[in-house]
Amino acid sequence: MTAFLKSKGIFGGMTLAVAAILVLLPLLLPSATLASEILIFAMAALACNLLLGYGGLLSFGQGLFFGAGSYLASLAMIHGGFGLIPALLAAAVAGAVLATCVGWLSIRRAGIYFVMLTLAFSQMGYFLAYTLSKWTGGDNGLLDVPRPDLSLFGIRIADLSSAGAYYTLVAVLFFAVFVGARRVIDSPFGSTLVAIRENETRAAAIGFDTRHFKMLAFTLSGAVTALAGALYAMLINYVPLDNIAMSMSENIVIMTIIGGTGSLLGSLLGAGALVTLGDILSAMWPRWQMLLGLALILIVMFLRGGLWGGVEHALDRFLKIREKGNAP
Amino acid sequence: MNRRSFLKGGLAATSLLAAPAFLKQAYAAAPVTIYGLKSMSGAFASYGRFAEMGSKLAVQDFGPLLGAKPAYATIDTESNAGKAVRKVQEAVQQQGAVFFDGCTLSSTALAVGKEVAKAGGVFVTPAGADEITGTDCNRSTFRWTVPTYGAIHETVRPLAKLMPKAKRWYTITPQYVFGEALLSAAKDLFKELGVEHVGNSYHSMQEQEFSGYLTNAMAAQPDVLLILNFGGQASNCLRQAVNFGLKKQMTILMAWTAGLDQFQSLGPDILEGVYMGAQYWHQVQSPMNIELVKRVKEVYGISPNYPLAADYIGTKVILEAIKKAGVAKGPAVAKAMEGMVYDGPTGKETIRAVDHQVIKDYYLLKGKAKSAMKDPDDLATVVSAGQSFPQGDKILCKMA
Repeated sequence: MTAFLKSKGIFGGMTLAVAAILVLLPLLLPSATLASEILIFAMAALACNLLLGYGGLLSFGQGLFFGAGSYLASLAMIHGGFGLIPALLAAAVAGAVLATCVGWLSIRRAGIYFVMLTLAFSQMGYFLAYTLSKWTGGDNGLLDVPRPDLSLFGIRIADLSSAGAYYTLVAVLFFAVFVGARRVIDSPFGSTLVAIRENETRAAAIGFDTRHFKMLAFTLSGAVTALAGALYAMLINYVPLDNIAMSMSENIVIMTIIGGTGSLLGSLLGAGALVTLGDILSAMWPRWQMLLGLALILIVMFLRGGLWGGVEHALDRFLKIREKGNAP
Repeated sequence: MNRRSFLKGGLAATSLLAAPAFLKQAYAAAPVTIYGLKSMSGAFASYGRFAEMGSKLAVQDFGPLLGAKPAYATIDTESNAGKAVRKVQEAVQQQGAVFFDGCTLSSTALAVGKEVAKAGGVFVTPAGADEITGTDCNRSTFRWTVPTYGAIHETVRPLAKLMPKAKRWYTITPQYVFGEALLSAAKDLFKELGVEHVGNSYHSMQEQEFSGYLTNAMAAQPDVLLILNFGGQASNCLRQAVNFGLKKQMTILMAWTAGLDQFQSLGPDILEGVYMGAQYWHQVQSPMNIELVKRVKEVYGISPNYPLAADYIGTKVILEAIKKAGVAKGPAVAKAMEGMVYDGPTGKETIRAVDHQVIKDYYLLKGKAKSAMKDPDDLATVVSAGQSFPQGDKILCKMA
C-alpha cells in the first residue's frame, strides 16, 4: 500500500489517491462548500510545503500572498470587469511577482532572520490593506466579490453559482496544482531543493546557485498561494482583512506541519483536519483552539512526519504484521 | 403459528399501532428555526456566550408560531468573518435557513448581511458599522444598534449642556472606519456647539499602550477627554488615563461602551465620575426591560447586559414579524418588519423602513462611587437618554 502511494509516476500512486479523495470529499462531508474550503486551504498548505517541506524555508509571509491573491482577483473582477479565468491568472501572476520581490530580499538571510523578514513583509501587507480602505474596505473587508461563470473566449462553459459546481472547479484546479507540484518535486529542480534543505553549503559547493533555486521555489509558492486566496474570495464572495493577517500565515504553516512537511498528500490531510475539526469542535467547546495547540505539540514531539507520517507508519506496521502472519 | 410468523405478525401490528403517531408527525407544521450567529469561540467568545443566552431565551419564551414551537440553532462564527459566511451558505443550502440574528463584529455582519440578502432571508444584527444601514444596506438586513451619529449626539450634546464651561475637548481615536465615523460626527457637533477641538490622537487597531496619547492629551489641557475607541482598547485607555490621574484634571467621556460586562471588568474605582455612552442599560425602567431583567435573573441568575439584551430583542422581533406576516418567508417577514413599532428594552422602538435602522434610545451614563452602589451591577446611573439619527440626505441607504 505505502509502496503504491510512494510510486514515482506523476499520474500514478499518490495522484490516483488524491483523485479518489477529490471525488469522495463532497460525499463524505456535510457540504460541498466545506469541501471547497478544505481544498483551497490544502492548496495554500501545499504551496507552503513546497518551501518548508522541500526547501527547508519557514515562511510566515504566506498570508501576504493569500491576501494579495484575494484582493487582486476581487478588484480585477469588480473594477476591471475580469472574468473568472483572467482574474485567477492575474492573482497567480501577482502572487508570483510579489513572492519574487519578498523572496529576493528574504533569502539573503538564513534561519531566524529569514523568518523575521517574511514576518515583517506579512505585517507590511496587512497594514497596507488596512490603510488602503477605499480599495480593500479596510477592517470591514471587501464586499460584493462576484463569482463569475466559467467562460472561455466569450463562450459560457459552466454556471458556478451552486456549491457543487464551484467545488468541481476548485477540485480540478487543486488536482492540476497537485500534479504540477509532483512534477516539480520529481524534477532535478525538486531534488536540488531537497539537497539545499539538507545541506546548503554542500549544494553550493557542487555548483548550484542556491539563491536562484530558493527564489524560484518562493515564486512558485507565491503563485499557488495567491491562486488559493482568489478562490477563497470567490467562495465566500468577500475578502475579510483576516485574509492578509498574521493569523492566516500561522494557519497555513500549522496546516502544513500538522499534515506533514515533505508530503503533498499531507497538506490535504492537514487542511482537512484543521478545517473539519474546527467546525466540529467549535460546536462542542468554545475553547477548542486549545486542542489545536495540544495537537500541534503532540505532532511536533511524537509524529515528526505529521499526520501523513503517522498514516504511513501505521500502514507499514499493519503490512509487516500481516506478512508475518502469512509466513509459513 | 411458528416463531417466524409470530414475529412478523407482531411487527406488523406494532407498525399499525404506531402509524397514527408517525402520520401526526409527518403532517405537523415544521417549526420555524432562528439561526443565531454567535462568536462562541475565538477572540469574542465572551460576547457570544451572552448573545446566545439572549436568543435562546427569546425563542424559549415565545409561544407557538405558525402551528409549532419555534426552534433555535447556534452557528459559531469563530470570531472570523470568512468562517461565518461559509457557515451561513451551508445553513441556507443544507437546512433551508431563512432567519438569522447576531454577529458581534461589524465586518462579519456586513458580509453575512449580503449573503442572507442573496438567499432572500432576514437578518437582524447589533453590530456597530454604520454601513449596515448606510451605504451597504439591503432588503434583508436590520440593525438594532444606534449608529455612530446617534452615539455622539446623545453623549457629547447632553454633557456639553451639563458642563457649559467645558469648551476645550480632546479626542483619542482608533484609525479605522468605526473610529473615523465617531470622530467625524464629533467634529461636526463641536462646530455646532461652539466647542474647541484642541487635539486628536490617532492610534492603530492593535494598540494597547496609550501613555503617549494620554500625555499629548494632558499637554493640550482640555476640559473633556473624549475616548472614541471600543472594547478592550477603550478599557485599557481608560485604565491608563485614571492611573495617570487624568480623572482629576479633566472630565472623561467614553462615547461607545459595551455596557455592563465591560463596566464589571473595570470596577467602580475606575468608573467613578466617568461618563459613558451605552446602547442598553439594565436599570432602564421600560415595561419590557423590567420583564426582561426579571426573566434573565430567573433563568440565568445575572443582570442582562448589552449582548444578551440586543440578541434577545433581535430574535424576538423576527419571531413577532413572522407571526405578523403569517408565513415563514423571508421577503414577507422583512416587509412586516418595516415600520414595525414594538416594546423594546429601551422603551418604544421603531424599525425605520427606509434604511432598516431601529430607532431607539442611546444612554449617557455616569460611573457611581463604590459607596453609592446598591448591588454589584449598580455601577452607573443614567444621566440622559434620547434618540438621534441621520435624517433626510444624511441617510446613505439606497435600498435596491
